[in-house]
Amino acid sequence: MSDFISLSSLNIPSLLPMAILVFGALFIICIDLAVKNLNRSFYTILSVLFIVLDLGVLIGYNGASRGFFDTVLVDGIAILSQCIILIASAFFIPLSLSNRHFKEYEMAEYYALFLFMIVGFQFMVSSDNLIVIFIGLETASLSLYTLIALHNRAKAFEAAIKYFTMGALAAGFFALSSLIFYALTGSVEINTIEAVLKEREFQPLSAVLAGTVFMIAALGFKLSVVPSHTWTPDVYEGSSAPLAGYMSIVPKIAGFVVAMRFFEMLIASDIIWLEYILYGLVVITMTLANITALVQEDVKRMLAFSSISHAGFVLSAILIGTTQANAGLFLYWILFMFTNLGAFSMLWIVRHKNNLWDERYQHPFSKFSGMVKLMPTTATIMGVFMFALAGMPPFSVFWGKLYLISAAVNSGFIYLAVIMVVNSAIAVYYYMKLMIYMFLKEPVANTSAVYETNASTTLKVIVGFATVVTLSAVLFVEPILNIVTKFVILSGF
Amino acid sequence: MDHMLSLIIFFPFVAGLLGFLVNKESIRSYGVVIAGIEFLLSIGLWIAFDTANAGYQFVEFSALIPSFGMSYYLGVDGISLFLVVLSTFTVLVSLIALNIDNDVKNLIIAVLFLEMTMVAVFLCLDVILFYAFWELSLVPMLYIIGAWGSANRVYAAIKFFLYTFAGSVLMLVGILYLGYLYFQATGVWSFSLPDWYLVQLPFNVQLWLFGAFFLAFAIKVPMFPFHTWLPYAHGQAPTIGSVILAAVLLKMGSYGFVRFSLPLFPDATVYFVYPIAIIAVIMVIYAAMVAYAQEDMKQVIAYSSISHMGIVVLGTFALNAEGITGSIFLMLSHGIVSGALFMLVGVIYDRRHTKLMSEFGGLATVMPNFATVYGIMLMASVGLPLTIGFVGEFLSLAGFYRVDWLVTMLAGSGIILGAVYMLSLYKKSFFGVVTKEENRTLKDLNAKELFALVPMVALVIALGVYPKPVLDTIDISVKKMIVLMEAKAIHVETKAFLINANSIGEVQ
Repeated sequence: MSDFISLSSLNIPSLLPMAILVFGALFIICIDLAVKNLNRSFYTILSVLFIVLDLGVLIGYNGASRGFFDTVLVDGIAILSQCIILIASAFFIPLSLSNRHFKEYEMAEYYALFLFMIVGFQFMVSSDNLIVIFIGLETASLSLYTLIALHNRAKAFEAAIKYFTMGALAAGFFALSSLIFYALTGSVEINTIEAVLKEREFQPLSAVLAGTVFMIAALGFKLSVVPSHTWTPDVYEGSSAPLAGYMSIVPKIAGFVVAMRFFEMLIASDIIWLEYILYGLVVITMTLANITALVQEDVKRMLAFSSISHAGFVLSAILIGTTQANAGLFLYWILFMFTNLGAFSMLWIVRHKNNLWDERYQHPFSKFSGMVKLMPTTATIMGVFMFALAGMPPFSVFWGKLYLISAAVNSGFIYLAVIMVVNSAIAVYYYMKLMIYMFLKEPVANTSAVYETNASTTLKVIVGFATVVTLSAVLFVEPILNIVTKFVILSGF
Repeated sequence: MDHMLSLIIFFPFVAGLLGFLVNKESIRSYGVVIAGIEFLLSIGLWIAFDTANAGYQFVEFSALIPSFGMSYYLGVDGISLFLVVLSTFTVLVSLIALNIDNDVKNLIIAVLFLEMTMVAVFLCLDVILFYAFWELSLVPMLYIIGAWGSANRVYAAIKFFLYTFAGSVLMLVGILYLGYLYFQATGVWSFSLPDWYLVQLPFNVQLWLFGAFFLAFAIKVPMFPFHTWLPYAHGQAPTIGSVILAAVLLKMGSYGFVRFSLPLFPDATVYFVYPIAIIAVIMVIYAAMVAYAQEDMKQVIAYSSISHMGIVVLGTFALNAEGITGSIFLMLSHGIVSGALFMLVGVIYDRRHTKLMSEFGGLATVMPNFATVYGIMLMASVGLPLTIGFVGEFLSLAGFYRVDWLVTMLAGSGIILGAVYMLSLYKKSFFGVVTKEENRTLKDLNAKELFALVPMVALVIALGVYPKPVLDTIDISVKKMIVLMEAKAIHVETKAFLINANSIGEVQ
């Protein structure tokens, strides 16, 4: 080790994916200063192009590389999850090009914040340094709070504040957990922590337990794992549909990657209570969210609970911990991403200026009554998304479920597998509720116009794309699986 | 014809998609034409089918998710051939007789999608693919019952859907576990049924897996005590829904027993023969008694379905060539007969908007043709010799007689009970004097209805008199399966049971 830090040892290219978007965000702010009143379409497409550029750079990586004082780790799962984050972002940002105008989309800050948020998530997934992860988490979260509040509705402020206060608590937990592990091992690098703890055979156990519990609370908040899920329905309801959909995908995959890195280290310890804790979390999250979703009256809230339940389902991959399970996690999430993109975009399309159907809710089930008679195609597409989310074969999410359940069965978690399928059976009911309203009830509206006020060509194209992917998922499973498995094995999970 | 089976599966699907473009006025003819072409395709399959070959024919194989062992694997043998023909036939006649006017376009498209799933369930040899179509078949049926049914339709549709969906999720775990066992045994992932047939499983594993599959099939059949969804679904479903449900969807369950439970888990099957036989006897007798107590004509036929499916299950678990062949033949005959009976109930319901037997009486004088067709179907349902119902019922019972004469006697009483409730139905509705004024002016069968019903009557008699071509084709595949079961069995008792069930007896 020389006293000098050579530039090449920093491995600047490992930072390139984040750097591009940081540059993009700053560029958007600067251009806003220079040219006033640029149209939202300009910013939207510009952001998408930066993301595409970033994706192009990212795909060029292969194999693990460290950089920036070893704090940045671009390994297989980092590349994989960044790809998911970027692709999801590239589809969710253009949802701003809706037919109706919303104030936040006219502001350049919205796009800049959006890009900063992506950068935060990218840092979160491509590091095994608890402090860098923390910084990434906070960057992303603070941007996200602001984005929610920009929606400029009373409910949106409420959602942002609620998310912020809960998020602050979670951030505190994360810091506390990092602190405990630092105190135990003198390092904030997950792999060093692992090495030191192993050497000491995970003693003192109570301190490890405390650190783990704080970490679970912090990550559980991001992943909306029961019992730290309570913010989810309210925040989803308050934010615009694109952001709600985004929140159901991107922060969670980032959280999963961190959880994967973190728990992989602890699971290696063979500490039995850890498995119990995770087992309990998985089962409670799946089941409780499913049962609560049954009684929801608003489709968006139902989807919020459904996304909690999906998160619980996928969390089982971390509990199982085999390569197949970890690959299954990514496969599931990729397929889930397209389906949820479709479902939330549909909610965005049918959004009406006023709450015509219910004083309290924007999307009560009754809103969709008899939709098939007014707009058969729209209703059918929505139905496809619902059945896909329910895990109905042969639509997208089914294949993810299949693979994960198979992973559970293969590693001897038969009871877990049974709980998983029983939950799928429960979940069918609430997805079907929307189907029943759409297909089996009489229409409440006289004209389809009330459902189309926000529909634009861009939105229709995005929904169409999501539909095609959802319908023909079986054809993509093999290539996705190959890539995902390759990257997961590459990073040693 | 390399892709005959794909063609049969996906033709109605493509036609259904394109159906969205067809004008509302012409959609009914469109539906009938498509169903007709599909039926001709399946007849073509039958003609091209080599009846001397017991194995799978027209096999199509291409890998779908090779790293997970899932493939697009189709094939047809004697067991599934006629169920495919039955499906296409049922859809054709029920579309001909269709008389629903509201949203008929959506209905016909839903029926075409349903046809795809039904045919695919019988033709898929990849288990995951089978499961996918098995679950998918619920969706169009949910829509058909829920949108065109009578007053309590939504409840009935949900009950039908949730019951059957929940029942089959455990099967998914079973499938995945079996796939894993296959992987352990061979080092290769495969979900294709012919591959699975080659694996011998330990007895306790067989028990668990048999249970997981059994629940799914038992709910579909439906076996006592999982039958409660069926009367609801039939009671609320529109005629076309009831016809397809009774004629084809229930057969998926009994087909599942023959295709999966028996050859995959021979030891567990033999282990469970008596419990299942007792359930089957309960189905036969209990459902017959309940049928007798009904006042609604459609409920009588719905419960009679359960009763007859009891004999199908009994025949299947006789585990000999007569029993299984007979039970498959009974599936076909029950499909035709119960389909026709539900259609006939639909005919009278359309005219009188009631299905209560007390509202009728003396219909034979007002509607002679209707009464004649009804009478023939009724006799076939009871199992009168020289009708189609007799052949299957006789063979199934004869098959189980080798296993246990007492159980067979009890189940045989179902035929007598069947005669009791069916004839009392006939007496109450058709004989005597016309008591209700509004019944005097009822119109007899119209051309459309005759066109749908006459082929069914012809089949009932033709196959009742000469069932040999059908039986022979089924028999050869069934015998192959029984040989496989015996070869696979790991317990000596199982082999002994199978030999005993398949031989006439030793010379003393």
